[in-house]
Amino acid sequence: MFYLYKKIIFQFLVFIVSVGYLVTAFNIGNPMLDGQLQASFFPLIIGSFAVLFSGILLFKEWALVKNKAADPGDDSSPYTAPILVLLIFIYILAFSAIGYFIPSTLFVFSMILLFSEKKKIVQKAVISIVIVTLGYLVFELLFGVRLPTLRG
Amino acid sequence: MEFITLVAGSFSTLLNPMVLAYVIAGFIIGTIFSAIPGLTATLALALLLPLTYSLDVTIALMACASIYMAGMCGGSITATTINIPGAPSSMMTALDGYPLQKQGKGALALGHAAIGSMAGGAIGAMLLIGLAPFIAEASLLVQTTGKFSLLAFAMIVIVIAQRGKVVKAAMAACIGLMLATIGLDAMEPVTRFTFGFSSLTAGIDLMPVIIGTFAISEILMQAGAAKEDRKTTEAISAVKIRRRDFIPPLSSIREIGLICYIKSSLIGYSVGTLPGAGGSMGSFLAYVETVRTSPNPESYGKGNPKGIAASESANNAVCGGALVPMLTFGIPGDPITAIMLGVLVINGIQPGPQLMAGQADLIAPVLASLLFSAVVLIPLTLFLLGPYFIKIVSIRKDVLYGAIALLAVVGSYVATYSTFQMMMALVLGVLAYYMRKNVFPVVTMLLGFILGPNLEEFLRRSLALSNGNPMTFFTSLDSLFFVILTLIFVYFLAIKKPLQKPTGAAQSA
Repeated sequence: MFYLYKKIIFQFLVFIVSVGYLVTAFNIGNPMLDGQLQASFFPLIIGSFAVLFSGILLFKEWALVKNKAADPGDDSSPYTAPILVLLIFIYILAFSAIGYFIPSTLFVFSMILLFSEKKKIVQKAVISIVIVTLGYLVFELLFGVRLPTLRG
Repeated sequence: MEFITLVAGSFSTLLNPMVLAYVIAGFIIGTIFSAIPGLTATLALALLLPLTYSLDVTIALMACASIYMAGMCGGSITATTINIPGAPSSMMTALDGYPLQKQGKGALALGHAAIGSMAGGAIGAMLLIGLAPFIAEASLLVQTTGKFSLLAFAMIVIVIAQRGKVVKAAMAACIGLMLATIGLDAMEPVTRFTFGFSSLTAGIDLMPVIIGTFAISEILMQAGAAKEDRKTTEAISAVKIRRRDFIPPLSSIREIGLICYIKSSLIGYSVGTLPGAGGSMGSFLAYVETVRTSPNPESYGKGNPKGIAASESANNAVCGGALVPMLTFGIPGDPITAIMLGVLVINGIQPGPQLMAGQADLIAPVLASLLFSAVVLIPLTLFLLGPYFIKIVSIRKDVLYGAIALLAVVGSYVATYSTFQMMMALVLGVLAYYMRKNVFPVVTMLLGFILGPNLEEFLRRSLALSNGNPMTFFTSLDSLFFVILTLIFVYFLAIKKPLQKPTGAAQSA
């Protein structure tokens, strides 16, 4: 039953965001002034369509949940993607604070571990260092991109 | 004629070893990414987009063109050898390619696929070179109201082309349009939807949208699906291919016939010009047409080389077709042309009707690269690297995704040297991931984001010129033309009963 609600949560969020967008568009100002379209006109149209479409989708999904007929979805691990998002988030913070090398090596190493079994750790660590060094060569030397370092 | 001469002259650009190296590297990267199930040429382009900052725009676009061409034909490698299309556009190739592989003629099937791709790619590129200047000239006749109707036509066609999920496609397009309205209004000094974040005042960059939509979301999608790989690796290790087996006998090519190559290419090219249609629809329609007109329709799906030729000619001809609206009107028809448009925007070049007239010397080498990729690189890389390409599929996914993730995240930093853009790429990646999980077509979101600013600008200008009278869209001839065209497409794509897929297609899909 959980997957049924998981699907409706996303549709519900989309609906809420659409309503929020429409309300914010109303707050921008008058859509028309002296016969001229203003900054809020286009967002109001888009917001209205978004509320309509997300409402239809929410209604459809709700009907499926009521009939318990929703697609059971995939059997992939529910935790891998959130862990990955968290990893990328931490990496971005560390990237700006500590620089390219150490966070990148740890990030690639964790990514490799996430996508494989926890065996041959040393080999995977070496591969991570090689990938990060190659990345450095491509970005900094080949394409002249200045990557952050520990010294700023 | 002048433009054709310019393109012919642009082949000399390829004599520059540096340019040639980028074009060849682009082609090989495109082939590798499209050959590996789960990866696409779009992902390759998204990852390489940040690197175009430091490249000359002509070279960057030439490399993009070769990735595009490679992306259309590379999918046939795994479609034929292990019945898993590396790219959606090669789905129809698997129908006849894999039965040939089972008969021990896999290399022959790949040879036919390469010849089909070469013919389709070349015909598509030549049609583009020949027709684009005329379309560009005609596009100059389209005025403000017509431009709005054209963009609206493109958006509607992109949405209704997503049969079976039109409401989700419409919602995805709305999300793209909503993202495009964030930041300073283009016509008034008013900020919209920034919620006090000064970093959002300039709006959201195209780069994090592309990287988030195609790279980060792809990594997240693959995160829970690593178990399939062992099966693929085992299937790959069982495939043995020798280089000389790639060359199909002349009698077999004659049997397919020139008409099949030309007809399929024309179908592919025409489909390519439609926004949102893409290579898979092109190859599907060409395959269906070949089966329909064949005296032996029962032989298809059992290893008929004509099926492979039709499918591959069409999907490669799509490349030429899809570049027509992008180069002449600034409307990308698919994710790859959207990223190519991004390369132009990043380099401060305004896409649209003036592009072909004002920047013909920039566009000509790109088209030369497209034709060169089709005629020279497709057969050459298959013959030289074919036996190794099939092994690439068995590359370790953990290492591959580790490298892709690094390229994606660091790549989003390159645009503005700001971690805000990296965070934005992550946020948009998560959004695209959940959209994909819920079967929303993310490509319509991207196209909504790209077309949004112009759509708004031309709507506001049109209504300002007509003192707020919306009838202007029906009274101006250029606009009326696109309104009627929209109605025709709505009828054929959304109302009329769709074509049925051939029996085998469902099995392979």
